[in-house]
Amino acid sequence: MDKVLVFVEIKGDGPRKVSLELLCEAARFAQNGRFSVEAVCIGRLPDAARDKLLSYTEKLVHFTDPELAVYSPEGYARALAGYAREGGAKMVIAGATGIGRDFLPRVAVLLETGIASDVTGANWLNEPMTFVRPMFGGKVFAEVVFSTSPVILTVRPNSFAMGEAQEKGGEYIEKTAGISPDTIHTKVVRVEEASRDTVDLTEADLIVAGGRGLKAAENFNLIEELAGAIGATVGATRSVVDAKWREQADQIGKSGKTVSPKLYIGAGISGAIHHIMGMDTSKVVLAINRDPNAIIFNYANYGIVGDLFEVLPAMTQELKKRKEG
Amino acid sequence: MDILVLIKQVPDPEALVEIGSEGKDLNIEPKFAINLFDEYAIEEALKIREAHGGKVKAITLGSAKAIEALRTAIAMGADEAMLIEDEGFAAGDGYNTALVLSRALEKEMFDIVLCGRQAIDADRGEVPQMIAQFLGLPHVGVVVKLDIADGKTVAESAFEGAKEVIEVALPAVFTAQKGLNEPRVPLITGVMKAMKVQIPKLTVEDLGLTRDMAGPGGSKTKILQYLPPKKRPAVQFIEGEPAHAAAEAVRILTEVERVI
Ligand SMILES: Cc1cc2nc3c(=O)[nH]c(=O)nc-3n(C[C@H](O)[C@H](O)[C@H](O)COP(=O)(O)OP(=O)(O)OC[C@H]3O[C@@H](n4cnc5c(N)ncnc54)[C@H](O)[C@@H]3O)c2cc1C
Repeated sequence: MDKVLVFVEIKGDGPRKVSLELLCEAARFAQNGRFSVEAVCIGRLPDAARDKLLSYTEKLVHFTDPELAVYSPEGYARALAGYAREGGAKMVIAGATGIGRDFLPRVAVLLETGIASDVTGANWLNEPMTFVRPMFGGKVFAEVVFSTSPVILTVRPNSFAMGEAQEKGGEYIEKTAGISPDTIHTKVVRVEEASRDTVDLTEADLIVAGGRGLKAAENFNLIEELAGAIGATVGATRSVVDAKWREQADQIGKSGKTVSPKLYIGAGISGAIHHIMGMDTSKVVLAINRDPNAIIFNYANYGIVGDLFEVLPAMTQELKKRKEG
Repeated sequence: MDILVLIKQVPDPEALVEIGSEGKDLNIEPKFAINLFDEYAIEEALKIREAHGGKVKAITLGSAKAIEALRTAIAMGADEAMLIEDEGFAAGDGYNTALVLSRALEKEMFDIVLCGRQAIDADRGEVPQMIAQFLGLPHVGVVVKLDIADGKTVAESAFEGAKEVIEVALPAVFTAQKGLNEPRVPLITGVMKAMKVQIPKLTVEDLGLTRDMAGPGGSKTKILQYLPPKKRPAVQFIEGEPAHAAAEAVRILTEVERVI
């Protein structure tokens, strides 16, 4: 059986959603008995996260070296590449998160193989396997094939469906990678976690984004209230970030984040190509703009031509009414 | 501080990109620019030189035309530039690009390597980390702040929501993210100088590599075909007074699309 390693990432007390998506997808394509899947966690692993992971995988390998307690690209790459080599893994998969995209290219070099980054689709059962990934900000997609082994992938969050947790728990194995401190040349001095408790844009299922049509920073409360009513994360255009109405972390688009939610609501956004590039893989798009010719309507499933100062509060109110009713 | 900036000439962000010959290649409107994120890298290199002295050298792997990107770097203020001219490697995968560039870097003296966090054509975001691994150097990715003082180098990395402050031993590789600085616009004197300057060229053979390594047999990954993005059906406008349209939108999202 071909061994597949899924690197799982921990955030707070639990695994990241994309890690579970990948374990579910791997379990699905492993059903034909050709693959065996292992989850690999490096560093901090709270009990709750471990228990949750064990209900999504048959085997969880945890690297516990003190040198790997905090993330470092050098340390993580060595540990993951070392384990892949030792077990003869045929595939190493991670989420295309900040960390995944940061250290998986190093894993590829250590294993003298290629990598496909930010994959959004896969033909796992093709011979050879092929992977689809966006280029030019999603203007085109490339179907990529590997000529070397193992296959290394980072996969965009929300690309594969979540499955159900299993009743019977998997096997848990602790290991050390034998990383010596002098192989790591970076030291994390401080981490400033984002001050909010909502899901990060890149992993969010629901997003409400606002543009310059909001007219002032304080009017973003209309966006926040609608987002609050459905549990969505707030996004913004570059113009709004440059005007300091919102933080850089909220920017969607070519020079910001790429998002792939189930629902993207955009209000007061013109639909400049640079913005579209960051959100065009969203499943359902609702655009609100008072200009019937706004370009964003070309990239939307639903459109409301109207004043966002009327439409947004009315939507929030309707949602509240439905909740109560 | 000797700083190398690795830059890439890419199609202009506005350039039309179309799929040609049944998915086998791309027809790209011939408008070019320096990769957006590389401009932050160049600016940061110039700032470090202004504060600490040293020299800034811009390097690119590309076709003969990519020399334009190097001239822009010189116009902005880089001291030197070098073109590694090879279309095959330039069009290849991340591994091969990183291999060529790391070989070139082995021949250079440097304290800092600055790159953009991602090239906006292939959107891979792989090469700087791979170069660091090839050379056995540390890297800090997605950098929004870089401080060098009292022999210490501290970078701020903006991974998604969180910000990490990281101390790193030089030499090291950094990848520049928007927010790091405001790239300067070249002065006319800089442009004049850039037009005249002789830019040395290397071939991959000069770096101990062979051209066939970039061919179909030599690369680790290759593109089988290009595919168009999934087309969204034409927009459906929700008509009526704002309050009515809003209520209808909520109904559709809840009952038809079932996304909320
Ligand atoms: C290299 C480069 C990179 C870029 N990267 C990004 C990026 O990553 N992300 C990004 O977003 N942009 C990016 N941009 C900028 C982009 O080109 C646009 O300028 C920006 O997205 C426009 O933001 P906006 O839609 O908020 O503002 P505008 O274009 O000003 O649009 C405002 C919209 O609000 C509508 N409006 C106004 N009042 C109301 C109202 N009362 N009710 C309803 N609608 C109203 C208007 O009709 C208009 O359509 C980049 C640009 C460049 C050159």
